[in-house]
Amino acid sequence: QVSVLYFARSAELAGLRCESLWVPRQVTSLQLWEEIVKVHPRLAVIRDQVVFAVRQEYVLLGDQLLVLQPGDEVAIIPPISGG
Amino acid sequence: MDESKDEPKDFIRLKSEKLSVDEVSALVISPCCGAVSLFIGTTRNNFEGKKVIHLEYEAYTSMAESEIKKICRDVRQKWPSVKHIAVHHRLGVVPVTEASVIIAVSSPHRAESLEAVTYCINTLKASVPIWKKEIYEDEYSWKENKECFWANSEK
Repeated sequence: QVSVLYFARSAELAGLRCESLWVPRQVTSLQLWEEIVKVHPRLAVIRDQVVFAVRQEYVLLGDQLLVLQPGDEVAIIPPISGG
Repeated sequence: MDESKDEPKDFIRLKSEKLSVDEVSALVISPCCGAVSLFIGTTRNNFEGKKVIHLEYEAYTSMAESEIKKICRDVRQKWPSVKHIAVHHRLGVVPVTEASVIIAVSSPHRAESLEAVTYCINTLKASVPIWKKEIYEDEYSWKENKECFWANSEK
């Protein structure tokens, strides 16, 4: 079970900022995205504009294999605009 | 009487209160430094002809702080003479003309602190998970930095 964090536009589309989700322990980043979109279908529209942050490291949506531990933080990161 | 050692320090703060240039400059001033360079990012009142009422910032706070720490570490590798670095970023509502970010760097001579400040703000815009929402009169828009490599540049 991982903690999924939603920010900015993704929080608006998902309707929440934080939740625990059951996901496979080993999963590609794209598969992880697909799991999350099953729960929040409205997120599909931003698929081409987001990356993940897994344990606070950026991960592109793609073939990268993630090995997740219980309690890991996975954040959905829309395009940033700090500064 | 203890003389506190003037070790190089990074001062990183994300806060919802108004930022203070005096406070941030004072953090980096050091007896060994002849230069303090400063960048202030302020809120513009217009975007593409629309009137901006105010900005709202949110952050993935823990990761934003760790990304800013990485930037400070990179600065010290590239410009080893840099003494202190301060990065203060405001969160929540920021009215027009108020500062959303202040970056200050001190170094013995001016070239390093000037270059380091430029590097800090450019890298912050490319890598720190902070988001800005522009509020107009009748709509709003999540902004996207052109430095952000995962934003779509063509719409």
